[in-house]
Amino acid sequence: MKIARTLLVLPGLAALAWGLVLFAQFAFPLGPQGFVALGWLAGGTLVHDAVVAPLAGVAGFALSRILPRPWRAPVLAGAVLSAVLGLIAFPLLWRAHGAPPLPGLHDGDTLGGLLISLGVVWLGVVLAGLVRTLRRRP
Amino acid sequence: MKLPVPKEESFTSAAHSERVTARIGLALAVTFTTCFVTGLISHLIQHPPGWFFWPSSPVWLYRVTQGAHVISGIASIPLLLAKLWSVYPKLFGRPLVRSLPHALERLSILVLSASAFFELLTGLFNVAQNYPWNFYFPEVHYAVAWIAIGSVLVHIAVKLPVVRRALSKVDTEPELARDGLSRRGFLRTTWLTTGVAVVATAGATVPFLRGVSTLSWRSGKGPQRVPVNRSAAGAAVIPAALSPDWRLEVVSAKGTKRFSLAELTALPQTTAELPIACVEGWSQSATWTGVSFPDLLKAAGSEPGRDASITSLEKNGIYATSVLPGEHTKDARTLLALRLNGEVLDLDHGYPCRVIAPNRPGVLQTKWVSGVRV
Repeated sequence: MKIARTLLVLPGLAALAWGLVLFAQFAFPLGPQGFVALGWLAGGTLVHDAVVAPLAGVAGFALSRILPRPWRAPVLAGAVLSAVLGLIAFPLLWRAHGAPPLPGLHDGDTLGGLLISLGVVWLGVVLAGLVRTLRRRP
Repeated sequence: MKLPVPKEESFTSAAHSERVTARIGLALAVTFTTCFVTGLISHLIQHPPGWFFWPSSPVWLYRVTQGAHVISGIASIPLLLAKLWSVYPKLFGRPLVRSLPHALERLSILVLSASAFFELLTGLFNVAQNYPWNFYFPEVHYAVAWIAIGSVLVHIAVKLPVVRRALSKVDTEPELARDGLSRRGFLRTTWLTTGVAVVATAGATVPFLRGVSTLSWRSGKGPQRVPVNRSAAGAAVIPAALSPDWRLEVVSAKGTKRFSLAELTALPQTTAELPIACVEGWSQSATWTGVSFPDLLKAAGSEPGRDASITSLEKNGIYATSVLPGEHTKDARTLLALRLNGEVLDLDHGYPCRVIAPNRPGVLQTKWVSGVRV
């Protein structure tokens, strides 16, 4: 265990230090670019810990008490799937800073694709919920 | 109104069990390592140090490594969110700092979380070619990748005893009847979401998933059934590319030789089936025909196997030039392509001629070529 931990810690610290050197070379002296990059570094974890996780927790807590028991797991899974699919589609849908859609790229129908995916997910939720409800009946 | 802050013990869901954390953590270790190694490969091909060698065979290797880079990044998104939810109660552990090692551990987790989010979010926006920032993406994504993988390694080292304990427990503990998801239910939901996220996007590079990847960031459209990243209009090369005065200038130790398009067409033609594999993770195989680099260099009085620097008609942009290593200039499948899928190369694909070399990133497959210097 001690050897394994040492073998992980030493290259880990070296990689960490090298990354900090590369980042410092880019960011310092601090200009507008370094400032924005630091904002993105802090932003993801802050928004997650202070906004996303509490909202997800409250939503999960509420759903798992309001819904009839057979529907809880399917609806919670469907909600998680919808949120992740929505997150992945987001940069393709909100393009205020996007590159122009040149022929052949990013000319796909993302909104349609997202709606189809969500349709499939919620069809699965309904089917799973119905099957679980029917199984509970004597 | 005072915001109610929960205590660590208030979180009773089965998702917060260390057995859940360790299993998702293990999956994340695999996806993050894959992402780091494949990303490093792509970086080294584009900025090769002296010791680095990248082969021209197999032709599909870069397609696979860069596809794996983007797919493992996508898979990491639901995994990271599930992992953080699993350990979320620890954020409320009090006292905030118990000792110096404890403070360092908390700081290292903050660095890990920040760098992991940074890599996944900027990568996700980059594959969509969407840039809500002002910095040069590859440089910062690369620097933070080292911070992320370093903090992952340190984190695993710190948590190794916990991981071992959590993974080696025999599963006899009965699952309590709870209101929300069970421990296994939470894990199953995590694996399902990861699988769905991968299937919804991987069609960008995996041919048999094209029809089912609803959120792929490339479509099957594009001239000659191959996607285009930078159009001729975008590169401002249309008049120069269509000009009858266009000549390919090959500069070597033997002097300068100029070829018109008709002269290039009269040289021996080679056809090769090669994928174009973009750094943004999409790829597409196609049939290319043109003058092979060994033939071109011989026709110009030079010899294959030397590095060649390629210049484009494009005047702006960092990808207007590229260097083809000797490994590629001696490979007969490295083409100055004149035709694509049986037709004359489309203007958006680099007419009159473009580089297409086996096993290279798309950004280095220079289009609208005007000069080759050996």
